[in-house]
Amino acid sequence: MPLNYKLYQAYPTLCWVCIFVLLVGCQKQREAPDNTYVFVKPANFPEPTYTFKNNPVTKEGFLLGRRLFFDPLLSKDGSVSCNNCHIQSTAFADAQQHPLSIGVENRVGIRNAPALANLAFMPEFFWDGGVTHLDFVPINAIEAAFEMDETIENVVKKLNESTVYPALFKKAFGVDKVTSPYMLQALSQFMTMMVSANSRYDKYQRGEGEQLSDDEQAGLTLFQAKCGSCHTGALFTDFSYRNNGISTTFSDEGRARISEATEDIGKFRVPSLRNVALTAPYMHNAKFRTLEEVLKHYAEGVQPSATLDASLQRNGRLGIALTSEEQRKIIVFLRTLTDNDFRSDERFQNRNEE
Amino acid sequence: MKSLNILIISILSIALFAACKKEDAATPASETGQMILQFDNKVGSEELNLTESGGTVYPYKTASGQTFNITKMGYYISKIKLETEDGTVHEDEVNVSANAAEVKGYYHVLESNSSSQLITLKNIPAGKYTKVTFTIGVDEDGVQEGAAGGVLDPAEGAWFWNWNAGYIGFAIEGASPNSSQKEVVGEGWKIHEKSFALHVGGWKDVAPASGQTQKFVNNVKTLTLALDSPITVSEKLQPKAHIVVDALKVLDGVNIDFATSYAIHAPALGKPLAEQLSNAFILHHVHQ
Ligand code: HEC
Ligand code: HEC
Repeated sequence: MPLNYKLYQAYPTLCWVCIFVLLVGCQKQREAPDNTYVFVKPANFPEPTYTFKNNPVTKEGFLLGRRLFFDPLLSKDGSVSCNNCHIQSTAFADAQQHPLSIGVENRVGIRNAPALANLAFMPEFFWDGGVTHLDFVPINAIEAAFEMDETIENVVKKLNESTVYPALFKKAFGVDKVTSPYMLQALSQFMTMMVSANSRYDKYQRGEGEQLSDDEQAGLTLFQAKCGSCHTGALFTDFSYRNNGISTTFSDEGRARISEATEDIGKFRVPSLRNVALTAPYMHNAKFRTLEEVLKHYAEGVQPSATLDASLQRNGRLGIALTSEEQRKIIVFLRTLTDNDFRSDERFQNRNEE
Repeated sequence: MKSLNILIISILSIALFAACKKEDAATPASETGQMILQFDNKVGSEELNLTESGGTVYPYKTASGQTFNITKMGYYISKIKLETEDGTVHEDEVNVSANAAEVKGYYHVLESNSSSQLITLKNIPAGKYTKVTFTIGVDEDGVQEGAAGGVLDPAEGAWFWNWNAGYIGFAIEGASPNSSQKEVVGEGWKIHEKSFALHVGGWKDVAPASGQTQKFVNNVKTLTLALDSPITVSEKLQPKAHIVVDALKVLDGVNIDFATSYAIHAPALGKPLAEQLSNAFILHHVHQ
């Protein structure tokens, strides 16, 4: 052996050290996790649908997205930002006094703005599912005449001319010029981070020491039995499009607008019910002001029409059999889905000094 | 025993080193070359000459006798494939990215932009090719990657439907005295009286559930054209395939009546037009 004896003795140890170093080197750095700007999937949630591989969340990207979200520059006359219709205290649904969204020049929209939460897990967007990727959602808001009534070209132009944005895009994406895909990706970084999974119900479900009261527990059981065929899973929706009988005719055709099939007239996306106690009024057209009205609707107000969901017309009876006591318990349960951490999370507040 | 240990450890270390290292660039490829696909828009046997929007001269005529002009015509071409005699397929690189420089394999061919009509395919393995296959439009793979730059950027002229998100794959706009379009004036834009806009889009491919009718319409079409004679790609040779796109084949193919078909902006309405595309894209000739 030409090897020096001592080195020969030490070689195996050296090698193990080598391997260790290499293994560590191969792995991602493991410091104490600071998840402020990291997308974390809650343990009780499904896999996200968002294409993070094309647009991983970074601190700079998130902060840029947040600035854009609160900036009325995105609208034609500088009067409306995303935040006008999506407000944190109501889980980013519209203000309660705006049943239908209000855009520039106080033009009234056609639909109730939904809450924005857990968007990274949704396969399709809008009440009719017309948009299939989160990145493309803001184009609609920016260009709709009754929302921001601006063109995407012009927003990009204004961003390039601004004194602050070009540097922020450079920091976030390394680009010298603002282009629309990066603007949309920044907004998506902000919006995918809006994960709401810290309601009392979540903490109870994950075994984090939270208990539900007897009424809440009974409400949960009733909810699963009576509502769970549509409002199912961790997000309380199966993401299907259904007619839940709020009307007999539909001037807004809903899903049929996208599928172009008459059998989808009057069908709308089953909405998530997370934070539902905060997001009144309810339904795509803001038909009901309170959860009591919603429950009453399911119990005794379901209207017949050709596309009404089969589960709402069983045994020759319209709607879901629910006593008023059962309705009350379901509402008590629905209130456990309110996530106060989400409503007060400082990351989602308009703090542009950073 | 000890030496075995050392051997194992050494192998392991090497394996780890190798695993940690970035993959080496592929071994230098064998000879490659380029080729050009040239798209030439026509109206029947006539060259297409665009009319200024709002113009009231109608140089073309449908088989049923309706005169018309064209103010805009174009399409997306993507996922181009070349096939050799023995069936070896070369695929043009396709990539969707927010970074315009990294968007590959999607081409927006516009009558108004002559350089867009020449698509240069690069890195083609040298060989004798007999068929070209391409997709008209942007399919699910292109849409579902999210916001994209370059020819897919709606702020840079990409043809994009917001409300039913996806790209318009093929479009003809123009005017005809037969069109029922009324004038619509917005802020900074105008739809002229007697104009028409035929937009073919829709990419969702959803098989109907049993007992249900087909929902959604996928108007993204893939065509394979046989080359009239095989072409040789090599380092030195840069052949060209000349493809004619005949607008009249689309319009006459659906026996268009501009009185009723003047505003087509949804997948189902565009379906009959999409079905004519295989007749409209014709391999005219190749230059070796
Ligand atoms: C004028 C009010 C208004 C403004 C401003 C507005 N939105 Fe909305 N937003 C709505 C309405 C209404 C809907 C539901 C639309 C539909 O279903 O057709 C919606 C839907 C959404 C959705 C889909 C949610 C889901 O669950 O499907 C997202 C995401 C969203 N908006 C983000 C934004 C962003 C980002 C901006 C700023 C660029 C913005 N919105 C500006 C009213 C508004
Ligand atoms: C047949 C499927 C189905 C069943 C069963 C069902 N829902 Fe719904 N739910 C829907 C659909 C679809 C909508 C949206 C309808 C619309 O906007 O037009 C909706 C909307 C709601 C909303 C309004 C949410 C919002 O943000 O506007 C609430 C609250 C609600 N459902 C609660 C319940 C409760 C409680 C039950 C059980 C008593 C129940 N649902 C049973 C399909 C269903």
